[in-house]
Amino acid sequence: MVPTFLGILVINFGVLRLQGPTLSEEMDKSIRNDGARNADLVATGVENYLGRFRSTGLDLPALVNLRGFTDIDDVVALLRATERGPAVLEHERNRAEKDLWLMGRLLVEPLAAIVADDALAELHGPASMALSLCAYYPLNPEDLGRLTPEQQRQRQTRNHALKGLRIEYANTREAGFATTDPDAAGKRAAIAAFWQANREDFARDGATAWRALVVETGFCDFMRKLFTGTLYSHQRKQWVFSLIADRWHVTFWLNFASIAIAWCISIPLGIRSARRLGTFEDAATTNVLFLLWSVPSFFVGTLFLHHLCTDTSTGKAWFPNRGMSSEGALWLSTPRYLLDLLWHAFLPLVTLCYASFTSLSRYMRADILEQLRSDYVRTARAKGCAEDRVVYHHALRNSMVTMITLGSGLLAELFGGFVFVEYIFSIPGLGSLLLDAARSNDAPLVMGSTVVSVGLLLIGILIADVLYAVADPRIRSRYG
Amino acid sequence: MAEAATSPLGLALGYFLRMHSVRIGLGVLALFVLVAIYAPFLASETAIVWRDADGVSFPLFAELFNRRSYPQRHDLLFNLLVFLAPALAIAWWALRRRWRPWRRVLWSLAIVTVAWIACQVPMLPSGGSWQAVWNDRPSPEETVRRHRAFAADDAPGAVFALVPHRYDAPYQGAILRRPGTVNESSGRAFLLGSDAVGFDVFARMVFGARISLTIGLVATGLSLLIGTIIGALSGYLGGWVDIVLQRLVEIMMCFPTFILVLTVIAMTSRSIFIIMIVLGLTGWAGTARLVRGEFLSQSVREYVTAAHALGLPQWRIMFRHILPNSLSPLLISATFGVAGSIFTESGLAFLGLGDPNAPSWGLLLNQGRENIAYSWLIYIPGLAVFALLTALNQIGNGLREALDPKSQR
Repeated sequence: MVPTFLGILVINFGVLRLQGPTLSEEMDKSIRNDGARNADLVATGVENYLGRFRSTGLDLPALVNLRGFTDIDDVVALLRATERGPAVLEHERNRAEKDLWLMGRLLVEPLAAIVADDALAELHGPASMALSLCAYYPLNPEDLGRLTPEQQRQRQTRNHALKGLRIEYANTREAGFATTDPDAAGKRAAIAAFWQANREDFARDGATAWRALVVETGFCDFMRKLFTGTLYSHQRKQWVFSLIADRWHVTFWLNFASIAIAWCISIPLGIRSARRLGTFEDAATTNVLFLLWSVPSFFVGTLFLHHLCTDTSTGKAWFPNRGMSSEGALWLSTPRYLLDLLWHAFLPLVTLCYASFTSLSRYMRADILEQLRSDYVRTARAKGCAEDRVVYHHALRNSMVTMITLGSGLLAELFGGFVFVEYIFSIPGLGSLLLDAARSNDAPLVMGSTVVSVGLLLIGILIADVLYAVADPRIRSRYG
Repeated sequence: MAEAATSPLGLALGYFLRMHSVRIGLGVLALFVLVAIYAPFLASETAIVWRDADGVSFPLFAELFNRRSYPQRHDLLFNLLVFLAPALAIAWWALRRRWRPWRRVLWSLAIVTVAWIACQVPMLPSGGSWQAVWNDRPSPEETVRRHRAFAADDAPGAVFALVPHRYDAPYQGAILRRPGTVNESSGRAFLLGSDAVGFDVFARMVFGARISLTIGLVATGLSLLIGTIIGALSGYLGGWVDIVLQRLVEIMMCFPTFILVLTVIAMTSRSIFIIMIVLGLTGWAGTARLVRGEFLSQSVREYVTAAHALGLPQWRIMFRHILPNSLSPLLISATFGVAGSIFTESGLAFLGLGDPNAPSWGLLLNQGRENIAYSWLIYIPGLAVFALLTALNQIGNGLREALDPKSQR
């Protein structure tokens, strides 16, 4: 169970990183205006990007962060890669530039050293630009609760001061880098002062670099946010798990009730068909259920909505078309409230569970048939047991074991139908949350609700496994 | 059938084809395939035959390979099949005694693939009148003028498609018309009404069949490929390979496929191509498990030991000796897989996460949900999905009964 959940988290993380390419395109659009690029505009683009995507850890490398181990030579090479030249391809240069600017705080130290180095005079401009962006600390709404007001103020002042540290430079195809700033010397001194003032924030001794190697990665970041519950949805300006906490119980009860109903209906159906093997009734049940299985649930839900939930010229609708309770239902007495809930939940429940009748009752039928052919049933019949007692007392108990085993497998297959049902009947549950998030590309919210729904499913499977032990005396005796 | 009846496969095939449900299923499926292939002849604004003062021309046949009229790649494939399908059918019939069915399948696939790739290469020289045929789409005004001329005046003779409406551009102002209402732009009726944007429902449905079938086949093919390779390695090699791969399969089985697909679509782009790939990459777990079981039971048979003793390489034993003997569960899971992919694709489109440019059935049904009083927007796409899924499920069920040695006949 736990390894499976971890595996699912890893897959989720992989899916999350898939948005990398689309994001960089988006960033290209936001920070580039061809030809004459305004340094402030570019910087604002990068700052926005950092602020938006730091909440999913996309500014960090996926698994291994080697940024703490880049020395000055490496950084010089990175800076050189952003230089325009006669043979340099523009899109490669753009990518190098973007990569450099998103490197984060671990690159501040070598960049400051480059700016301080007189021998690398032509790199002072780009290095100062990269430094001002790497040292930038986006103050996200989720940080505001975590940092003290003192720290917030300090970060804000520092971010503001960074804008004044950029040494203007030209980057042309003919000449490459050239410093154009009249006040280059003054800004160099300012950078040196900035580095001295914020030394402890950006310093990277051995321990910092090694910790960053594993801890400051996209994977660790994602997992930490998931497990500490600090996943933050930028689009909704809310914590993901507080959004989910309002809604998960709706989905949980809907699914739970639909599974219970499916079992309560399909087991008698299966037994009935098995006992009337070969009759018209058996064939009719099997065929009708098989046809029912092929009807897509979204079609059934929409049909219900069309025929039963829509007011027509001739009369009022039979069932409500949205939500789980009427307006003002909170003020109803408890029995009336429950009736109201049932009235709202009836069609969603039918839509959720009709598809599982087929497979469950089929397995039930096959299994009861197999049990009825076995020796112990013959013995029971020979003993003179009534037929009902043979079926319900002897055969059914044994086939429950198979049913429960199948139940946990079926759960995963049927799970996911709630997205349709919640969408069709406008139920404020996890499914509609997931759908809204997916439509608006809200990555943290998608991840959070996916993980929670998979968690619910795994809990269901766990319950089925426990029931399995309850139903099967062999397993019960082995574990206690 | 004389020689086929003796083999177990022939017996199974005979049993399979005698089932009523399978016959109906195959018939419905064939109908959908024919509709998908000949979609341009059912719904297209271009005339099939056009005769005026300049002489007789066949605009639709030229239009079939026009990139602007049919920009999607799967459309090109189906348009090729307009010509290739009858030719291949004749070849199949002619070669029925000379070539084994397997060989005929492979050759047909090869011919279709080669033709499809060849059509991607622009062959005709630019300039001149050919260019117009290949690249320019007749303007809507021109088409309207022609339709009007045809309706008003008996001078030009023309044969039009069943419904002379486009599927990829809405008709201005013709919103939510009842089935049978006349479209002012063309002078002909909306056979199945129009939707909330002004598209002709019939044209959308007909071209939607192409999307559903393509998705079903490509996604299932991909998941079968992955599932077979993983299952084969896992079942045949055993040991730690088996342990690792089974863990992976378990994770994929536990992960609700629909939610995974939804998540991936949310993180990437919403194109038909991506949806196909994602469906293929997520749906292989069941196949892998089936193939593994089959490989486990086959790999202890004598013929495998014999192949070992002959010194054949392992991949050859796996894919040339064991795999052909374990095809029947694969075939069954493929049929249900096609149904599953079609369901998932139309479900995604229904939820508004499909390709917005593709005329999917689910998109139409979603319009029905948004305009809940308009029953034709609900029943037509819903029944189409239902019919196709039922046909595929019946075929799969028939296959399972026919190929399962335990089932009583």
